[in-house]
Amino acid sequence: MLFSEVYSAYFNAVAAVITEALTGNLAIKDLGRIINDKAFSESMLTIPPALIGGEWLVMDKSLQTPIKRKPQMPLTILQKRWLKTLTQDPRLALFGVDLSELEGLEPLFKPEDFVFFDRYADGDPYTDTAYIGHFRAVLTALNEKRRIQIAYRNRYNRLINGIYVPYRLEYSSKDDKFRLETAGGKHAAYINLQRITSCEVLEAYAESDLLPPKRRESVVTFLLTDERNALNRVMLHFSDCRKETIRLEGNRYQVRLWFEAQDETEILIRVIFFGPMLKVIAPDDFITKVKNRLAMQRAIMDQAEED
Amino acid sequence: MAYSELVKDYGRIRGYMRQFIAYGFRSRSEFGAKSARSYDNEKRRVESWLGESMSFRRDKDGKAVFLSVDSRRIPRNPLHKSWKAASFTRNDIALHFILLDILADGQPRTLAGLLESIDKEYLAAFENAEPIDISTLRKKLKEYVDIGLVAAVKQGKQYQYSLPIDAVHLAGWQNAIAFFSEENPLGVVGSFLLDKYETQRSDMFTFKHRYLLFALDTGVLLDLLTAIHAQRQVELEMAGSRNGDARRVATIPLRIFSSTQGGRQYLSAFNPLRKEIAFIRLDSIIQVKTLEHVPDYEACQKRLEEALPHIWGVSAGRYKLQHIEMLLSVDPKDRHIVGRLEREKRCGTVESLGGNRWRFSAEVYDARELLPWLRTFIGRIVSLSCSDKAVENQFWADFAALEAMYEEAMHGEAMYRGDGDVV
Repeated sequence: MLFSEVYSAYFNAVAAVITEALTGNLAIKDLGRIINDKAFSESMLTIPPALIGGEWLVMDKSLQTPIKRKPQMPLTILQKRWLKTLTQDPRLALFGVDLSELEGLEPLFKPEDFVFFDRYADGDPYTDTAYIGHFRAVLTALNEKRRIQIAYRNRYNRLINGIYVPYRLEYSSKDDKFRLETAGGKHAAYINLQRITSCEVLEAYAESDLLPPKRRESVVTFLLTDERNALNRVMLHFSDCRKETIRLEGNRYQVRLWFEAQDETEILIRVIFFGPMLKVIAPDDFITKVKNRLAMQRAIMDQAEED
Repeated sequence: MAYSELVKDYGRIRGYMRQFIAYGFRSRSEFGAKSARSYDNEKRRVESWLGESMSFRRDKDGKAVFLSVDSRRIPRNPLHKSWKAASFTRNDIALHFILLDILADGQPRTLAGLLESIDKEYLAAFENAEPIDISTLRKKLKEYVDIGLVAAVKQGKQYQYSLPIDAVHLAGWQNAIAFFSEENPLGVVGSFLLDKYETQRSDMFTFKHRYLLFALDTGVLLDLLTAIHAQRQVELEMAGSRNGDARRVATIPLRIFSSTQGGRQYLSAFNPLRKEIAFIRLDSIIQVKTLEHVPDYEACQKRLEEALPHIWGVSAGRYKLQHIEMLLSVDPKDRHIVGRLEREKRCGTVESLGGNRWRFSAEVYDARELLPWLRTFIGRIVSLSCSDKAVENQFWADFAALEAMYEEAMHGEAMYRGDGDVV
């Protein structure tokens, strides 16, 4: 069963409290830290009274526990079968894990049980030996906080060679691609892993060298007309973005959507996707870009008529 | 009943969370809760679980609570926390820690042996602790054997209980679990596994185009996948009838269709009465009840396999093939547009016609499904033709409406006043 107390934040919090109690160093003041870390924001109202009040029979008010060993929960069948499921995903090869331990288990599902019908067709080559090598090098650099020297071809097919402080590895389910985001403030870069031609993990970097990328945020505001189920479609389509929706009169809504400035073309396409259900009202340069596309289309149509 | 952060039934909170996250403009009076207190309690729970991810706004309709996050900037799905809020009884938590502690020494024990240890070694530490009932212990052991936390071996007339031998060592899996807990359709289970690591590594992955909401449907998804594997029919309890009453649908589940761009997941299923494939949104399924084994399950799957090359998204229309064709003019400096066509064409075909002309064409059961995608090429479309003229007409009517909207934008507000078609 998925929704079970054995996976609950409360059980995790109590296990952590007992672990600390067994060291002999648990004090009342530690409860807040542990519970806030493992459970929810209001759990302090519930866990301490029940736990040290003796109601749960695993600790008393003097913070003594009859539990003798550090709490350890074996893996459930669900957890093991989930791991087994991963073994059928080609992306698991990128992580170099030992699969022999999962023999004899049934996966929870098979890859063919899913159809990702609108995923792009030019995803990364997960079975390519060179790609796997580059991925693992990037992962090592991220794990061990080391610089990495990367040679890659940019979108204009120019070979770029540089030394980078890795920041995050980004995956897009739509693109089915990994990109390395590097540190470096406003000089931060995105490097498509598929475009890497060679890389080498270098020495560890100092914490002060980790300048998180500076992102330029943009916002677009559009009016939504709820025809043809547009409200539901738009709300779900853009639910991966930060947005705020206000209801106006009748079947109209105003949506403010935040995005990274470099993704403007993508957002423009996503807005046009909904046709006349969405009307951009700000900013002006975004409106101009929509109008330009419409004008280009009108020009092609006029030309076709003339021909 | 006093407020609790925890809930017994996940379904109760699922609908509220979807409203907060996907919409975020509905206020208390619009939730249709049985009472104002129900709404207040659910809101308080969600705020407690999701903490700083929640925002609120007050307007003329009242206070609206919403989750507004850029899923790209949060390494872990905050909705996974909702799956860690199952309620429990005093006996559940006491027996969980005590049983696993007793069995941790590796020695198998009988039911009577366990009961004696619990009484003498654990409950004795508490004044006036009520003893654990043998039937309660038996029930808990059966539950733990079923989920794999305890192993039971029959020796003579009684069972010997012990901890299972765990062959899986999680140490080498941390990066993989961190990635797949966000990317696998049942990633919530990975999130449970991440909780087992004492040292949490700093998050190295981020995810673009990630739909956090899918996490809310994990329970329904797991039940459906289990039924698919067992080749069983299911009865679905569905939400969404106009009077608010749930309705029930018996069907044969086949595959899951997941959108990486639309934030929706669908079950493709064979309707045994109509003898056709149907697509059902996962977020509209309240509950899945597994029914009998389907003897000709493969034949149902074959129907879907045969239809797949002509399904653009999640509609098989009336199983009548429609031809759709779009001619594009692509300037050599804009070759990335051809790249777009190639990677986004799905079951369609892309051909160069020489010069700057490119043709996309497809034979599909429901050409109407292509309309939104075709619009994204506005600015380069030389011609569009479809064997269903209504599709063609709709496209150009939408284009004209767009033109009118933006032409009038300078002079006043023009907004779309469309028909009721569902696209």
